[in-house]
Amino acid sequence: MSNASVIVVGGGPAGLSAATELARAGFSVLVIDQAQALGGAVHRQPMPGIKSVASAAQKKRWDRVIADMTTQHDRITISLSTQFCGLDHTGAVLLAGARNQLVRPRALVLALGARESVQPRTGWTHVGVETVGSLQTRLKTLGQAPKGRILLAGSGPLLLALGAELTKLGNPPVAIIEAGRPFSHPLTALRLPVSYWVEACQYLARLRLAGVQLLNGSHLTSISTETGHLRADVDTPQGPRQFTVDHIGLHDGIRPNDIGLPDCAALPVIRVGDCNEALGARAAIADGRAGGATLAAQLLGRPVPAPAADIKRQRVAQARLAEIYSHEGAARLHDLPGDTVICRCEARTLDDLRALGASPTPRQLRLDGRFAMGPCQGRFCADWVNQLANSKTQQTGIGAPRWPASPIAVADLLAASDTIEGDVL
Amino acid sequence: MSGTIFWNDTPIPFRSGESVANALLRAGISQFGIAATGQPRALFCGIGLCQSCLIIADGSLTEACLLPAQDGLRLSAEIGDSHV
Repeated sequence: MSNASVIVVGGGPAGLSAATELARAGFSVLVIDQAQALGGAVHRQPMPGIKSVASAAQKKRWDRVIADMTTQHDRITISLSTQFCGLDHTGAVLLAGARNQLVRPRALVLALGARESVQPRTGWTHVGVETVGSLQTRLKTLGQAPKGRILLAGSGPLLLALGAELTKLGNPPVAIIEAGRPFSHPLTALRLPVSYWVEACQYLARLRLAGVQLLNGSHLTSISTETGHLRADVDTPQGPRQFTVDHIGLHDGIRPNDIGLPDCAALPVIRVGDCNEALGARAAIADGRAGGATLAAQLLGRPVPAPAADIKRQRVAQARLAEIYSHEGAARLHDLPGDTVICRCEARTLDDLRALGASPTPRQLRLDGRFAMGPCQGRFCADWVNQLANSKTQQTGIGAPRWPASPIAVADLLAASDTIEGDVL
Repeated sequence: MSGTIFWNDTPIPFRSGESVANALLRAGISQFGIAATGQPRALFCGIGLCQSCLIIADGSLTEACLLPAQDGLRLSAEIGDSHV
């Protein structure tokens, strides 16, 4: 049995499953999460005294993760409201927030979940426009829907999920604007796992009953403000439509939340769950377990276990889902007005990007264009800048991994207690 | 437990386990001042990635969506007023 410690960043299903496996192998594990409760995004728990809006399937899945972890509670320490800032070349990990420490673990597990992809649109920086994930996180925490009229737009099953949850809490969205045509791929849809069907049917039944307009093959093209409200202009196959609302939720799919996370030669670092491959909550548990067990075996010099079959199944299902929701909406980027903000951090526009010439180098994009140079480090603009600039530099160009993982206050560095070797607990 | 946070000296009630951003939004405050670029500061991603909701809390710039509300916490906009 080893007394060495492993740090797991992220208290969602993947992180907790990895922690459980590592603890089972004899390691002491420190799980940190920046939120005030475990759960991550999909399994975000309500505040004390608030009724959960989670579905029965979600509750069952989460209860299983917690029950598994509880069997190993002697070796697992949880630190909430704690941020992971980064890792230096010597393998020292800086934590801030409730546990402000510089620690030197035996290994690091990154289970940071997904980030949302949001395609730039005219007026997407107005107050009241946020990601669908942001609306959903708030709804799950507070157990209530935001007041006022809500419009959801973009693409993917999360739009239907949030729409159904808003409906359940008494404030159905005015409409759901979906760029894809998910009902035009019946043969592919039939090959999805049954659990996907059950979930989709529940969402659709609830939305239809509430009379929510589902506009497929449609695009929210522009948002403007109008006497304290938001006006959304939508292109539909039947012609233009306008909606006046109070909140707009945007979502164009999920990507691994892996920006700013380079590997470290001094320390084994693994990624699990959506942070490794965006396959959703169903795959996160299997991937967390497999990652935790593999890392434990490597650290102990034992044979590495075989890959989990669950993950392969979910990869196939997610690929089918992507096919069902596929659309050509990204082509609209090129037709946006020149003053559309692409980089939200530094308010850099499409005109600023075009001013760099026909095929700017990554260096020009960063140094002259200041794209992906703001505090979000390209999490929200890099994909679009690479597309617009016709850049084939996804790996080495903007949005490339680079520390820190999040902005660090000098005060946090100064206040961090001394490096602790070995056992961090 | 619950308590009061202060947005530009205006008392805002919060509930236990709530983030500063959620408490402000429930109180009808959706713009958290203005960024140096002139863009409004407001919640966008809700999970600490986009840095759109930065505010000053007890003297340091931090993400309103991650910061736990704590009794007596004093908050203000980085630039500009609160647009209450």
